[in-house]
Amino acid sequence: MGSNLYRLFGRIRAIFAGRQFDADLEEEMGHHLQELAEDNIKSGMAPDEAWTRARVSLGNAAQIKELHREVRGIPWFEQWISDLRYAFRLFRKDRAFTTVALVILAVGVGLNTTVFSLVNTVLLRPLPFAQADRLVWITNGQPTDNTLSGITSQVDTWERLQKESRTLDRIEAYNPFSVLQTFRLTGTGDPQTILAIGVSHGLFGLLGMKPKYGRFFLPEDALKNAPLRVVLSHPLWVRRFGADPGIVGRTVQINGAATEVVGVMPPADAFSSVFFPAVEVDLYTAVQNDIIRPEGNALYLIGHMKPGATQKQIEADLPLAIDEIRKTQPWINAYGQPLHNWVLGSLKKPLLFLWTSAAFVLAIVGFNLGGLLLARGRTRRREMALRVALGASRARIMSQLLTECLGLVMAGSMLGSFVAWGFIHYLSVRTAVQIPLLQYLKLDSAALGYTVILCLITAVVCGAAPAWRFSGGRQMGNPLSEVARGASSGPSLSRSRSVLVILEVALAFSLAVSATLMVMSLQNLLKVDLGFQPSNLIAVRVDPGDQDSQSNYLEAMLDRVRALPGVERAGVTDCIPVERDRGWYLFPVIPGKPDGERGQGAHVRIVSSGLIGAMGTPILAGRDFTRGDEKASPKVVINQSLARKMWPDEDAIGRQVNIPEIGGEKGTVFTVIGVVGNVRSSGPEMPAGNEFYLTMNQYPWAVSWDLMVRTKLPVAALTAGLRQTLAPLDPTLPLTKARSMQTIVDRTLSSRRLLVFLVGGFAAIAITLALIGLYGVISYSVSQQTREIGIRMALGASSGIVQRQIVYRTVVLALIGLVLGLTGTLLGGQLLRSMLYGVSSNDAAVYVEATLTLFVCSIGAGYLPARRASRIDPAMALRAE
Amino acid sequence: MKEKLDLLPGSLDLLVLHTLSSMGPMHGYGIARRIEQVGGDRLILNQGTIYAALVRLLQSKWIEAEWGTSENNRKARYYSITASGRRQLADETESWQRMADVVQRVLKAAE
Repeated sequence: MGSNLYRLFGRIRAIFAGRQFDADLEEEMGHHLQELAEDNIKSGMAPDEAWTRARVSLGNAAQIKELHREVRGIPWFEQWISDLRYAFRLFRKDRAFTTVALVILAVGVGLNTTVFSLVNTVLLRPLPFAQADRLVWITNGQPTDNTLSGITSQVDTWERLQKESRTLDRIEAYNPFSVLQTFRLTGTGDPQTILAIGVSHGLFGLLGMKPKYGRFFLPEDALKNAPLRVVLSHPLWVRRFGADPGIVGRTVQINGAATEVVGVMPPADAFSSVFFPAVEVDLYTAVQNDIIRPEGNALYLIGHMKPGATQKQIEADLPLAIDEIRKTQPWINAYGQPLHNWVLGSLKKPLLFLWTSAAFVLAIVGFNLGGLLLARGRTRRREMALRVALGASRARIMSQLLTECLGLVMAGSMLGSFVAWGFIHYLSVRTAVQIPLLQYLKLDSAALGYTVILCLITAVVCGAAPAWRFSGGRQMGNPLSEVARGASSGPSLSRSRSVLVILEVALAFSLAVSATLMVMSLQNLLKVDLGFQPSNLIAVRVDPGDQDSQSNYLEAMLDRVRALPGVERAGVTDCIPVERDRGWYLFPVIPGKPDGERGQGAHVRIVSSGLIGAMGTPILAGRDFTRGDEKASPKVVINQSLARKMWPDEDAIGRQVNIPEIGGEKGTVFTVIGVVGNVRSSGPEMPAGNEFYLTMNQYPWAVSWDLMVRTKLPVAALTAGLRQTLAPLDPTLPLTKARSMQTIVDRTLSSRRLLVFLVGGFAAIAITLALIGLYGVISYSVSQQTREIGIRMALGASSGIVQRQIVYRTVVLALIGLVLGLTGTLLGGQLLRSMLYGVSSNDAAVYVEATLTLFVCSIGAGYLPARRASRIDPAMALRAE
Repeated sequence: MKEKLDLLPGSLDLLVLHTLSSMGPMHGYGIARRIEQVGGDRLILNQGTIYAALVRLLQSKWIEAEWGTSENNRKARYYSITASGRRQLADETESWQRMADVVQRVLKAAE
């Protein structure tokens, strides 16, 4: 180790052992003096002179000690620490100021750290998969095409891509339709409805995931006729099997069949938190190609890029690789895009918007604090002037003021990181919010690092102005005498505060506008007519399991349910709107014209009689299914959109359609018996498309069904009633997956709700802070002008005139801020536009409303000090100070 | 040469090291007295500055310190040179002399 390094350690140690060093030095100097004086006496001096000479030879004791300290320690650091200590003492004396400052800092920094964590976890960090940047998302339709059946791929495409692709070395898949398919778990404990996702056997391996116990799937699990094997999710394993590692290799009863558990998922299930946010997956099964093959488009594909392959090459390669299939089925295709894009692309703008809003709040916090420090600095001008007079350099005073500010901001940021910790925890347990990776949110080192950077920036932003203002001794005139005389405040001081306040108002205005627009969008979405009535509608998942005749079973169930007190209407469907998504093609049968000419894709639901009524969807023409609609005469109910497209300006009732999905090559011809209203199948944000309904009496193939009950009963009460009335029919029916239709609809709006909640909160904080700032600067200037106002009132100015002038000054500041904010918001509205629904980003009414609100509030903020000013007693004011 | 010389920056450290190397362990006052004796009246030594030099050398581990008792039976802090201090002294002495030579040669050439 070099002597320089020793020296550095020595210096650092000396900072902490200063007292010991001082004591040693003191003793050595004492010894030095004594010996020196004695030697002087020996050489013949008188004792008095000997001591005096000794002191002269040794030198000024204070200087020696100062030099010693400088040499042994790190002077600037010690200086900084002592400045901090000084600041601490000052702030402790000024409790009110310090409390306000710390609270606004904690809120500002806390919010920003939280939002950064969110952005970092969801957007900036790579997905939590192995080689996440080399994963490719493959869809059949254009990625913008939003029906699930349109964008998923068929097994043939998958197999062909695996064989022929020259840019991907591995392709895995999962079955997104399986999210809607539940099973009945019986055996130990109460029967339970569980949700299983089908994945290709190598998917978890490709994603770099490791099982907690046992294994994931093997190629033999995916073979046709392989016995069903399952991997348990971590929550199910804990909840249902008491976290027993011995479960691996044992069997559980699924739909009445003994099924082997081969593994347990890790506690952090990266797959489901990315692809199924807000869905509780209970177990995974292996996709068996030959079973899925006849189902058409049923899989999402995830590929892994070969070394050196580029996005461009992939885009060109994938359609070529499935050329053979495209020759006979030209509607099949393969588009590749980076996985990250697909999963998080739609979140980019909302999160950037959130980030910007949070930054605005922090800026307002910084300006506000800057204003408070300026006001406070005013009372310290004497202290500063004294220091300058005693020879302190400008740099020295600036560094001290900045240090004070930094100390304050550091303390505020520390509180802020506690606030952030709370917020982050709050967000990470929002399991019903559909934002991928939300559960991965935590206060990590990146977030804390960001806090430190924020802290430094804030300290500079709010400390720079006061530091500059108060360190320049000359610009202040002669503060020593000025303050002593109690003259009115310097004009430039209130000018810098005014600038800060104007900026605050501008930022608050733009947040207020954004928040209003977001709230309006949410309200518009809540008002959207979904085509069914989600309130007082409860969905209960029922899995008939191995029943011989599903429709008989379900009809028997419906009879019992409809007889329950409190139940108004009930029906069964395999495909709840919003939650489930599946589409088929169908063609109008027109004599003399070949099929395919006016073919339409449409959502399909298989339903019981009475379901359409139970949903609250209006029947516009014809009739609903009845129990008597048997297989012999195939019937279909279509929605208005489909009717208009197939038979514009004509009556659809009695017409015929061909559905190729049913009945092989030639398809099956169905007769239209009813036309019903459109339903928004993908939630309120997506317009309604084509739909048709088939009766379960004719096509009872679904594995899972939902009992839809229109009732005013709460979910728990209904479930209890159902359990009682259905027990004789089916003693092991779980009835554990009951949810109100409203919660299903709400989930599609969950991320928007969260965004609105956050932005609304930001706007409220921003407006409050801006008004406090406005109030602060006006009330400060009033207090500084007490004498002036007193003189004017002594000369005859009425209290009304004084009030008006002060309110006028407030209004001018607010107006400048509002104009600035208005311009900025209009220019920056781009970011907002994509997040709005049913309202324009430059909706005049919103701007007018926000302007008026802020304007009125700012008059209020100015009125309080104005009233105070108007009550100034001239005699008192002139005598004051 | 009547006026006394101020020490060049850094040279005090060299003098202290040299003194400790040739005289063995000494206390602060002893070192100061020794330097003044050798330098005679041609040198201004602000004796107190010796303590800054000593702490600097201590932190570089070129010298060590230990409390002991002086010849007058007083408690005093004794400093002694370390092995790395001797190496440093040799290096510094050499570069000091080289520097002095160079300065002298340049000055002579200018005459």
